[in-house]
Amino acid sequence: MKKIKTTFNVKALFLWAICSSLLAWNGVYAQADGRKITGNVSSSGKPLAAASVINKRTNVGTFADNQGTFTIQAKTGDVLIVSYIGYVKKEIKVGTSDFIDISITEEQAKLDDVVVIGYGKARKVNLTTSQTSVSAKDMEKTVNTTIEQAIQGRAAGVFVTQNSGQPGGGISVTIRGISSINNSTEPLYVIDGVQLQGSNSGNGSNNLAGLNPADIEDMQILQGPSATAIYGSRATNGVILITTKRGKSGEAKLNYGAQYNIQTPPKRVDVMNLQQYAQMQIAYKAIAGGNVRGELLDPSILGAGTDWQKELFSNAAMQKHQVSLSGGSNNTSYYMSGEYLNQEGVAAGSGFDRYSFRINLDNKPREWITIGTNLSFNQTNETTTSGQNGLITSSIQLSPEVPVKNINGSWGGGDLTNPAHQFSPVNPIAISTLTTNMNSKKQFLGGVNLGLNLAKGLVFRTSFNTNIGYSNSTYYQPTYSIGWAINATSTLQNGTGQNSYWNWNQLLEYNKQIGKHNVGLMATHEAQASNWKNVGGRRTGFLTNDIFDLSAGDATTASNTGGSGEWAMESYLARVNYNYDNRYLLTGTYRRDGSVNFGPEKRWGAFPSVSAAWRVSQEKFFKIPFISELKLRLETGLTGNQGGGNAGIYSPLAPGASPWGTSFLTSVYPNKALQWEETNTNNIGVNLGVLKNRVTVEYDYYVRNTDKMILTASIPWYMGSNGTAQITAPQLNAGSLQSKGWSFTLNTANVVQKNFKWETNLNLSHFQTIVKSLNSETGFLERSSWWLNQADPFSQRATVGLEPWLFRGYIEEGLFTSVEEISKSAVPVDNSGNRRPTSPTNGIWIGDIKLRDINGDGKITSDDKTNIGNPWPKLFGGLTNTFSFKGFELSVLITGSYGNDIYNFMAWENSNPNNINLGRNMMMHAWDYAKVTTDNSGNPILANPETDVARIISGVDVNGNYARQTSKWVEDGSYLRLKNVSMSYNLPTGIIGRQKLIKGVRGTVGVQNIATLTNYSGFDPEIGSYTGPNANNGGGAIGLDYGRYPLSPIYTFSLNVNF
Amino acid sequence: MKKINYKNFLVGLVIPIIVLSGCKKDFLEKPPIDAITDASFYKTDEQVLAGTAGLYNKVWFDYNDKASYNIGDFRSGTTFSAYNDRGNVLFNTTAENGENNASYRSFYQVVAQSNLTIININSNAGAGVTPAIKKMAIAEARFMRALAYRYLVMNWGEVPIITNNLEIINDTSIRRNTVPSIWRFITREMRAAAEDLPETPVQVGRLTKWSAEGMLARFYLTRAGVEATGTRNQSFLDSAKYYAKRVIENSGRQLLPVYADLFKWPYDNNKESLFELQWVYQPGQYGAQNSTPSYLNFSPDIANGDGWGGDKGGTWWMLSQYDGMESFGDTMIKGRTVDQRLKATFMLPGASYPEITQVLAGVKQKLIFPNNGGDVNFASIKKYVVGKAEDVGGQAAQQNYPNDTYMQRLAEIYLIYVEAVLGNNASTSDATALEYFNKVHTRSGLPALRLTDPVTGTPTPLTFDIIFKERVVEFAMEGVAWYDLVSLHYYNPQKAYSILNSQDRGFYNITPDAFPNPTSWTIKKTSWATTERKINANAGNFRLPIPSAEITQAPNLTQPAVDYP
Repeated sequence: MKKIKTTFNVKALFLWAICSSLLAWNGVYAQADGRKITGNVSSSGKPLAAASVINKRTNVGTFADNQGTFTIQAKTGDVLIVSYIGYVKKEIKVGTSDFIDISITEEQAKLDDVVVIGYGKARKVNLTTSQTSVSAKDMEKTVNTTIEQAIQGRAAGVFVTQNSGQPGGGISVTIRGISSINNSTEPLYVIDGVQLQGSNSGNGSNNLAGLNPADIEDMQILQGPSATAIYGSRATNGVILITTKRGKSGEAKLNYGAQYNIQTPPKRVDVMNLQQYAQMQIAYKAIAGGNVRGELLDPSILGAGTDWQKELFSNAAMQKHQVSLSGGSNNTSYYMSGEYLNQEGVAAGSGFDRYSFRINLDNKPREWITIGTNLSFNQTNETTTSGQNGLITSSIQLSPEVPVKNINGSWGGGDLTNPAHQFSPVNPIAISTLTTNMNSKKQFLGGVNLGLNLAKGLVFRTSFNTNIGYSNSTYYQPTYSIGWAINATSTLQNGTGQNSYWNWNQLLEYNKQIGKHNVGLMATHEAQASNWKNVGGRRTGFLTNDIFDLSAGDATTASNTGGSGEWAMESYLARVNYNYDNRYLLTGTYRRDGSVNFGPEKRWGAFPSVSAAWRVSQEKFFKIPFISELKLRLETGLTGNQGGGNAGIYSPLAPGASPWGTSFLTSVYPNKALQWEETNTNNIGVNLGVLKNRVTVEYDYYVRNTDKMILTASIPWYMGSNGTAQITAPQLNAGSLQSKGWSFTLNTANVVQKNFKWETNLNLSHFQTIVKSLNSETGFLERSSWWLNQADPFSQRATVGLEPWLFRGYIEEGLFTSVEEISKSAVPVDNSGNRRPTSPTNGIWIGDIKLRDINGDGKITSDDKTNIGNPWPKLFGGLTNTFSFKGFELSVLITGSYGNDIYNFMAWENSNPNNINLGRNMMMHAWDYAKVTTDNSGNPILANPETDVARIISGVDVNGNYARQTSKWVEDGSYLRLKNVSMSYNLPTGIIGRQKLIKGVRGTVGVQNIATLTNYSGFDPEIGSYTGPNANNGGGAIGLDYGRYPLSPIYTFSLNVNF
Repeated sequence: MKKINYKNFLVGLVIPIIVLSGCKKDFLEKPPIDAITDASFYKTDEQVLAGTAGLYNKVWFDYNDKASYNIGDFRSGTTFSAYNDRGNVLFNTTAENGENNASYRSFYQVVAQSNLTIININSNAGAGVTPAIKKMAIAEARFMRALAYRYLVMNWGEVPIITNNLEIINDTSIRRNTVPSIWRFITREMRAAAEDLPETPVQVGRLTKWSAEGMLARFYLTRAGVEATGTRNQSFLDSAKYYAKRVIENSGRQLLPVYADLFKWPYDNNKESLFELQWVYQPGQYGAQNSTPSYLNFSPDIANGDGWGGDKGGTWWMLSQYDGMESFGDTMIKGRTVDQRLKATFMLPGASYPEITQVLAGVKQKLIFPNNGGDVNFASIKKYVVGKAEDVGGQAAQQNYPNDTYMQRLAEIYLIYVEAVLGNNASTSDATALEYFNKVHTRSGLPALRLTDPVTGTPTPLTFDIIFKERVVEFAMEGVAWYDLVSLHYYNPQKAYSILNSQDRGFYNITPDAFPNPTSWTIKKTSWATTERKINANAGNFRLPIPSAEITQAPNLTQPAVDYP
């Protein structure tokens, strides 16, 4: 390849697809000859309906009917191939008899499976690395809008949390702990060869949302260094290999699947109703002074008021229809599918729909040529008002005295006559109805590949894959007048983005067996590049609220934005596999990556790995009868990370406005010496199979060391690196991380009887990441969520010697209960360093929070902040039990996480009893505010000393009771969740009968997110990384509950029909 | 497998060989395509000018936004906010204070961007750039940097001087520099800028020699106190006088005849202006526009989706500074003033501002500042308030205003001259000083100051207090008064504390004698607002503390300061 063009001929691609389809049809309707042979296929005496029977010579096939009976044209001496999924394929020679009784056996050892690995396939038993898989069968059991949801709880070592329950919302996938501190920790997804970097996008949308989970045949999660190193610099966070379904030779299979789900509202956060709200108002005024408004004076005559959560959350439907057609002859096979999914959100102002279409074709025009094509197209539409406009928080804070709608039909809102209402949020129902906040995306994903068998054992393959996306966003805020909130100007923001990616790979593979020596060699060259371009426009002053087009706005208010970028990478890679007698296994890989993100001297990085395995159970001396498989594995490898973008080595200038035309100021400090971040992983593993592999165990222990981390340097403000005209700190290589962890998988077939089967999968994982060093002299990096409480923003810190991103705050030690206690304790000081007075009006008083004086200087200052919580779990896992009885199958999935903390910012924000004066509603908990009274001797004391809610203050909150982030809001986020229970039933053949139309019917009912065992007090303990306004891509707050979109129970009904 | 003929075999082998030879070298060379990079810029006069244009606005944005009045006016007691920014109003600016942080960061953005501009022009400007333009552009950057350091040294005292950011990116040993050495550095820099800047601007609003010499007058006047031993340094006073005189006589700048016109849009780059921040209204852009009016506009009625200044106003002390506003006891100010600066600086009930449109209940009208009654109301801010978009030719939106911010105007040069002549004397009767003083004083409508009372014949000499008061009234809400106090504090800290500690910063209410068009007002202290009226300025809290976040990331700043060479 001399030079690769960034465009390719789409037309040619489609032509190829059409030609391939024609070939496919041709194969299926090939002519048959010979005499009529009748037969019966069964296993253990049970007829196998729909077993495939093919005449090897003529390539003509048929299926057995519900009694297992088939008829086929064949001559004496022909060979019939009988196959059935999950059973061992059998070849039968046709004799003179016209009737053949065929019995096939169920596949016993799953270990004999061939699995997909990076740039190839391998026998599972011969893997020398750690790799887990999730099959289509597993995935079918849960309701998965997007594909990553299917991994949760099913694969050891993979920590999956949903960032938001918003339909189509993003998900965090962390494989084996944190490998990078500033860069994305999301894995690389390889979908039929298309490499997609997972992203933890800040706006909550998900770049894998376009893929239809029902098209997935198999997912392989590469975790071991030897498996991932073949993907070199892109694989540090693990690799998820996704293979879509392909046709199998035999009669065409037509499948229709329909799914209908009801999603129900989440558990309610206990906030005050109108009576309680009025009582709180009265209590507040009694302490702080002022008059209670007349309408709240007598709580007993008030109703419950508006339950905003009830108004915001409602039952929501999700439906999905999917049709697929697959089949093929010996030379050609095809898989086609179409899908429509529509998911309403349980919260108003959210929703997701998707249309997707796929064709996968495989062709073998000559014995030595294979041609494959994957084409998929999808479109998604996402409504994100609830997340982007903070409606969930509004539903907690808005006063119950505000109606959803006024009697005159206008939207209810805080009134103008009560100035305090200015601090209450705007009616979330009105906002969700009036505002339009939508993203629409179109994606084309596909590729072609060509394989040539050059000589015995020598194969050349080349593939070209591409991913082209187009997105369109619309954010319209109309003019409105909701109580005090008046939006006088309507605003429309439109944005479009285009991105394209291509990858061209050439691969040469050679396999040779000499005696008991098996050698496999592979060499590859790969080039890939991508580019993106965004355009955005904004206008205000729309005269009507129903035309969402910029041209309808006031031209003088128009503004626009743009942005574009390019990226490219070139790689050379090689792999050597050697095994002796399937006993001693050795794999070595080597990859060199060159990235545009680095300057000429540092451009190329080398990523080697080596792994070895010993299948002890294959040894002659191994004579433990009940152990059927024992394999020991050892591997080490290096992977890289190329950082966020190619701006690091350049110093771009930022444009600005000036009276004399555009101005240019430096925007980034360059670092021409930037280089690869490197992660070295060592892994030992063991695979054990007991009782003919009815029990299998896989265990891995690993140590990962990341060095030369690509960090945004933490440089002082005196470098001009912070603010409106900032020169952003340079990217540099500094610091190191270490993760240690283990993962454990246990598969058991507990009961295997003719009619009843019980299988269990248990996976457990643990990791701990420690920051070993950092560049900054102070030894920490801080991530501050400045938009959450400006006075003392929630922040997380990565400190040398500790786990990254621990919560920061003060340690709260209860409330002051006496004046004496105040005088003995450290308290905040004034600007001259003197203690703030002890006083109920303008000082520290009984009922204020007591903070721990960490540095022991007798003063409470920001130096007394410390680490107060850890967002990372100590243990997480999943347990699946599957019971089959005749046509019934019951599957129960439990997922859990143990030992992680959550910062309940939502409670922090809504437990302040003083907020009643701002016209805000609050959690019931606030009612138990510290009540200061006097004892018999006239000393002030606390009437309810057991409370942890600080007092109502008539003057200034000198102590900062509700302005500080403290340990009180850190909660244990451990949970055990009954994630999914599903029961499916395959209609027995007897009922389907002898009619020709329907070959199989399967019905499923299920419930997802049924019950959660947790001590966490918020909506939902499953907290991923922060998404929403002001979110930072790749750097979102972790373990922070800010009123995020919760996961809620889903009831599922689905029907699958095979024609 | 079928037998493969050799042709196929060769083809199969050749393809990978070709392919494996790899991509062209430039496949992995991809500089940003959505931004200009430094090395390809500064090639023409136009590009060099574009390279310094941002130094006139964006780099100062974070300072101008809210810190300009929080530090310049709230701390000095000219204006206050009743419910917000109380730390600054009560002279309790902590190391965590938002405006402390924002202004510190902003001044260092000025420094860093100026440094990089100088480095980039020196290393990238080639034959295509006229030498005069190159020289001027570097002088512009040196001017901006010196001015930023003037704010830094006056607010925080000892701070590090940085002239080349690229060299010290990984250097954690940077020390602060001593106050006198910073003053030495910035006067030296400003003299170099004065040397290289042209007498007439290259483009309207750009710096001239006179801008730099005006700043030199200001710098020397302050520096005279910095290196004072009991009395102010006479040679620096002489330098202040020298530069002030040069600017007055040679710059061609003139006072505007009507004071209020200084702040009526469009006033940008008028005859009186020596240097102002060059804001532009640009929807969709952030950083080059003036955002301050959003926080000053007293109500959404006169604003553009903002109007968050309802609780801001002149202080009780400030209102008592206007001639004719007489104090009765300690609880009432009453009277009228002919000083036009009051109406041009603060809005009192009944005052008319026909240049500002007010929309009340959907009805448009010319603004007459309302009288809301009650026992708390405010003399809302007028300076820099320019009204709705329709009042400024359509060029206004929320936090997006076009009007410039004065950084120095000729009136100050006159008063610098007067103060430099006064120097260490208790009073002066210098005729030129009196003439210059009266140029500023009488423009406001007040009668000229005379050295002896024409009726009684008692001497009324020109003293520091008179000059100080004149400056306070002239520059109220222009972010100046605080720096006047810092200048004073260098050589007479007790006097600076006593001025600050005498001020009343508490709540009051204003009643006009007629509505509209009142002729006098009665101002009364709000009876129940008895606390937080006075502050306690002292040596421990006079300076701004270096932001705690900065100390955390740069512990080297806690080391003792060293002299800058």
